[in-house]
Amino acid sequence: MLLAALAVYPALGTGYGVRAMLQIFMWIALAGSWNLISGLTGYVSFGHVAFFGAGAYTGAILVAKADWPWLAAALAGGVGACAVALVIGYPCLRLKGPYFAIAMLGLNEVLRALVSYFEGLTGGGSGLSLPTLHATVPIYYAMAATAGGVTLLTYAIITSRFGLRLMTIREDELAAEAMGIDTARHKLYAFLLSAVGPGIAGALAARDQGYIEPVSVFPLATTITMIVMVLFGGKGTVWGPVLGAVALFVAQEFVWARFPYVHQLLFGAIIVAVVLLMPRGVLGILQIRYRLPRTI
Amino acid sequence: MNVAITPAMVGQVVISGILAGALYSMVALGLALIFGVMRVINIAHGPLLMLGAYTTFFLHSLFGLNPYLSVPVTMAVLFVVGVVLQRTLVFRVVDAPELSSLLLTFGISIGLVNLAQLAFTSDLRAVEYLTGSFPLGPFAVSKPRLVAFVFAAGVTGLAFLFLRGTRLGKAIRATSQSREVAMVCGVDVQRVHMLTFGFASALAAAGGALIAVIVAIQPEMGQIWTFKSFLVIVLGGAGNYPGALLGGMLLGLVEQGAALFLTTQLSEVVAYVLLVVVLLVRPTGLLGGRQT
Repeated sequence: MLLAALAVYPALGTGYGVRAMLQIFMWIALAGSWNLISGLTGYVSFGHVAFFGAGAYTGAILVAKADWPWLAAALAGGVGACAVALVIGYPCLRLKGPYFAIAMLGLNEVLRALVSYFEGLTGGGSGLSLPTLHATVPIYYAMAATAGGVTLLTYAIITSRFGLRLMTIREDELAAEAMGIDTARHKLYAFLLSAVGPGIAGALAARDQGYIEPVSVFPLATTITMIVMVLFGGKGTVWGPVLGAVALFVAQEFVWARFPYVHQLLFGAIIVAVVLLMPRGVLGILQIRYRLPRTI
Repeated sequence: MNVAITPAMVGQVVISGILAGALYSMVALGLALIFGVMRVINIAHGPLLMLGAYTTFFLHSLFGLNPYLSVPVTMAVLFVVGVVLQRTLVFRVVDAPELSSLLLTFGISIGLVNLAQLAFTSDLRAVEYLTGSFPLGPFAVSKPRLVAFVFAAGVTGLAFLFLRGTRLGKAIRATSQSREVAMVCGVDVQRVHMLTFGFASALAAAGGALIAVIVAIQPEMGQIWTFKSFLVIVLGGAGNYPGALLGGMLLGLVEQGAALFLTTQLSEVVAYVLLVVVLLVRPTGLLGGRQT
């Protein structure tokens, strides 16, 4: 029912409605991807927007300079983000503790500096314009597929042995190693998977907007929003990121958008409150109260 | 781009690097203390530095206080802020998994930055007090950076004397070596945690007060300092306090070198590559994992 409604929505809804739904799908894809690495393995990624930006630039460069069709460029965006994740994840995920978190904190600053520097390819600080294309509706379906794909992937992982191993790492990494789990490799796989969604979403968003520049595709605020959505919905669950993305996007769009700084301040407060008061998020509380299965 | 590298240029890099490095060392010592004592990486360390810079700015613009005389005042103010943060929020996650403390201090950091944006707006502010540089042989030495170096070296020196000589300093070092043993020996660990967070915030504030004279002040100036401070303690070896001194100097030299030989735009990239390389080659830091 819901799927059918979402499928026919572009034919019936207003331009604004389609755009808002597109944004919701994007946030579901982003939040779900953050959940894959941070919710499942407990390794906090403070720079996940780096993959969004890497995907946006990969896709945009291929469209603008090599005339790729947008769908192929979007998939290439996922691959590009994955490559960045490999370079960063390989050294940082072999270590335990906060090294990874801080390395990710610096990553988006570094990528922003790099794309600003290599002007020939990226247009530098003045940005990169893409040829005009009226494809909001096809991009709507592509973004919906990305969001669905990330959610489906999360379900597949959580119900698999691979997912169990990841959660073992989260609960006790030493014990996981003692049981013979190759923790570095598992963390790296989870990290690579978590980079694909933002990469594709970034390339799609870039195509939809038609113009990108370094400051707009690497904002720290995007990482913050992803984290808040997952924490609020319930980290380490399948539907938590979806719930968080929809609830917070709606709240943001209709209530908080009028007060930009208060809205960010509120995000900070939500993070603090969730960590201290309900570490399992809304879905976690529902799971316990109504004895729902872990795979929800 | 490819200019011939003269000895004078290298000397200039060394001088600027050491001047910048002392500031890094002092600020990073605060982060190292919190990590050593509580095993918490304080993401809000840089935003606390930002609050320090604003405190100095307002003391200067509203009361006409000399920015250098304001350093102790700013440190005292942020000491109180640090103690309050620790007593209200951070103490709850000291024994929780790392995920909790990282996320909590990240939330605090967002809160502080946006409170600053609300209260002080995003306008760039500057404390105009001391500018320019004087020649020293073939080199140019920036005046505000030299004064900042002297202050940073002084504050860091006092901090080390305090850690070595006083009962409280010894209690802090004991707690960072083993909390249980310190507790058994009669150290009030909760109090040590609270005061350490206060001292660490004061060190960040001193950094903020000193760079207030050098760079533009705005609410988002702090985050990069969290990253740089962490890089410094990784270079020096986490939990190794003298290591923070070495790491700070090294970061200062590398950044200045990169700014001169490549371009200032890429100096952060170079610092980042340095972090990744050190993590790959020597994850325990350059001085090893020794505790002091």
